[in-house]
Amino acid sequence: MTTITIAYRNIFRNRRRSIMTMLAIIVSAMAVVLFGGYVAMIMLQLETEFVRRSGHLQIFRAGYFDFGAGQPEAFGIGGYAALIDRLRADLVLAPKLRVVTSTLAVTGIAGNFAEDASKTVFAQGQVPSERERMRHWDDYGVGSGRHRTSALSDDDVEGGVIGIGVARMLFLCDDLGVNDCPAPPADLTTRVVTAQDVPDEDFSDLTALDAVEPAHTDPRPKLDLLAATAGGAPNVVSLAINRAESQGNKVIDDNFIAMHLTLAQRLVFGRGTPKVTAVVLQLVHTADMAAARAYLTRLFVAEGLPLEVRDFKDLNPRYGQITGLFRAIFTFIALIMGVIVVFTVVNTMTMSVMERITEIGTLRALGLRRGGVRRLFVAEGLMLGMIGASLGVGLALAAAAAINGAGLTWLPPGNADPVDFKLVTVEAPQLVLSAWVLLMALAALSSLLPANKAARMPVVDALRHV
Amino acid sequence: MDEDDVVRLSGVTKTYWLGKVPVTGVTEVSLTVRRGSFSVIAGPSGSGKTTLLNLIGCIDRPSRGTVTVCGKDIARLADDHLADFRARTIGYVFQTFNLIPVLSAYENVEYPLLLTRTPVGERQRRTQAMLEAVGLADKHGQRPNELSGGQRQRIAIARALVKDPGVVLADEPTANLDSRTGHDIITLMRAMQQRLGTTFIFSSHDPDVMAQAEDLFLVRDGALVDRQVGDRA
Ligand SMILES: Nc1ncnc2c1ncn2[C@@H]1O[C@H](COP(=O)(O)OP(=O)(O)OP(=O)(O)O)[C@@H](O)[C@H]1O
Ligand SMILES: [Mg+2]
Repeated sequence: MTTITIAYRNIFRNRRRSIMTMLAIIVSAMAVVLFGGYVAMIMLQLETEFVRRSGHLQIFRAGYFDFGAGQPEAFGIGGYAALIDRLRADLVLAPKLRVVTSTLAVTGIAGNFAEDASKTVFAQGQVPSERERMRHWDDYGVGSGRHRTSALSDDDVEGGVIGIGVARMLFLCDDLGVNDCPAPPADLTTRVVTAQDVPDEDFSDLTALDAVEPAHTDPRPKLDLLAATAGGAPNVVSLAINRAESQGNKVIDDNFIAMHLTLAQRLVFGRGTPKVTAVVLQLVHTADMAAARAYLTRLFVAEGLPLEVRDFKDLNPRYGQITGLFRAIFTFIALIMGVIVVFTVVNTMTMSVMERITEIGTLRALGLRRGGVRRLFVAEGLMLGMIGASLGVGLALAAAAAINGAGLTWLPPGNADPVDFKLVTVEAPQLVLSAWVLLMALAALSSLLPANKAARMPVVDALRHV
Repeated sequence: MDEDDVVRLSGVTKTYWLGKVPVTGVTEVSLTVRRGSFSVIAGPSGSGKTTLLNLIGCIDRPSRGTVTVCGKDIARLADDHLADFRARTIGYVFQTFNLIPVLSAYENVEYPLLLTRTPVGERQRRTQAMLEAVGLADKHGQRPNELSGGQRQRIAIARALVKDPGVVLADEPTANLDSRTGHDIITLMRAMQQRLGTTFIFSSHDPDVMAQAEDLFLVRDGALVDRQVGDRA
């Protein structure tokens, strides 16, 4: 029977007021935990999406990131195979690595000459099996949602995937079975889209020059891909389109082509030394990213290699924008909730002090120190916070479990594919724990003001109070 | 100063300030209270009885003069030390009982022993004994609002006496009770005082209470106007 007992019993003295106060704390706890869980979910899903797509780290030739876009010939990495071997064998790095692969980014013009249509495209040469493995990274258990099997494969060098915008503009919707492709406007006479630089001539004989053109007849729809070679001369390869895929972003959709690395290298480097524009590293855990990046940077400096390292946040500025936005909204909500809790608890505790002035005087006359009075009211506030925060967090966890159990899927901002709607609560306990602890601390701190007022009251005046 | 004086006031003046207006509580009061006595401070309303008890009870400080309780000059004690001193030395009985509403009868009596950090065994023994002494052992689990006025004041007396204080102060302890209950309460206190040898100081304008006094101090308009010392009872 000490401070705690007295404080606890006083909570039940004015039930209605205590319940209203706890309700404010409960609602705050629920709002913070549930919205925090939502934001955490978005951040993890977004990170997963970007890490699946572009890996954690990409190694470029120094300057490529800022100045090299569209210039694979000038900013290519020639010794990439040796570099990859070197990284895979590195004692420090290897245990942290999940996938090391390479990619060649090419800007070119894709033509569907059967339809007399062409457009500028941004093509990615990839190693299909390694890319596919990257798409299965799931360190946070986000799941694969409606995961598509890759439309590219290592032994299908001519195969390609295009964005649905590319399919639309090059009139391949029907051939590729793309749904809801709008019919082109009737007055669209010239079918050459954004091709100011393309000489209006037939490239079909250039295609014919390609020595590796397969002899057998392939039923897949074809695109001819034109780009400048390392020497500056135009070169053309033929791409057999396996599928059109949505990229979750119109600009990318309208320009995207994924193809086999070998074919991309054939397009850019012909029979010269094949290069890549980036070596892509996917780590087992994102937590290792900063250390791995620093390690690589040191390594390149030490060995005098003209290479630079960028992480997925550099490569996808949208990651920072979206997470920053949600973090700001979360902070705003948490602040409002905090202010509500502070006002409610200050109000409740002030009323509690006012009602108990004679009691305060009595306790002081009996020999309770000022600090004892202060402790009494702070304990009461803390207890309101404890009960409220515990109930609130408990209810929020129950609600989250119910929502997560409902098996919903959704399309997070920035994602191309829908994924499971699973609020991140117990999986990231630091949010739940800090909400719980902070709300209790806030309630205790808020009661400090009224508690001090009670403690400072002159005993004689308190006893005279009626 | 007599060794047997529990309380000693010399030239004590207390002035309250209502804004810039001074209000006299007591002026130039000097008195001593003998150890083990049953003293009453009597006087009409507003004469300064409560003010005197507050000064003796160390919950107020004099504007001038010195207050010595159980050999301690209370002016020299800092607030926390004064609180500790009250916890050990002063027992309080209030006119309005002032029990802690969230504590049971037993817990109310036990509370002062918690303040003095009395070991649990002794605490239980003393609390139980005190409840029996005031005849309310069977009400130990009751909350104050479940007790009658007389029962509450008995609990308050038990609470004041449980720590075996140097002096018990009772500010008009019967004013909120009917005369019969009031009489019983005074009789109980007198009996306890004789049994325990505790010093009791009352304030009252109840003739029944005044009749019980060994030493009687009469105050009027904040000044001590008469004293009748010796065994009047
Ligand atoms: N805290 C205070 N602030 C201002 N004035 C006070 C205070 N306490 C007492 N007084 C004034 O001091 C004078 C003495 O008051 P006190 O309460 O000591 O009288 P009392 O004899 O106890 O009266 P009662 O029989 O009504 O209880 C009164 O005029 C009162 O108004
Ligand atoms: Mg009075």
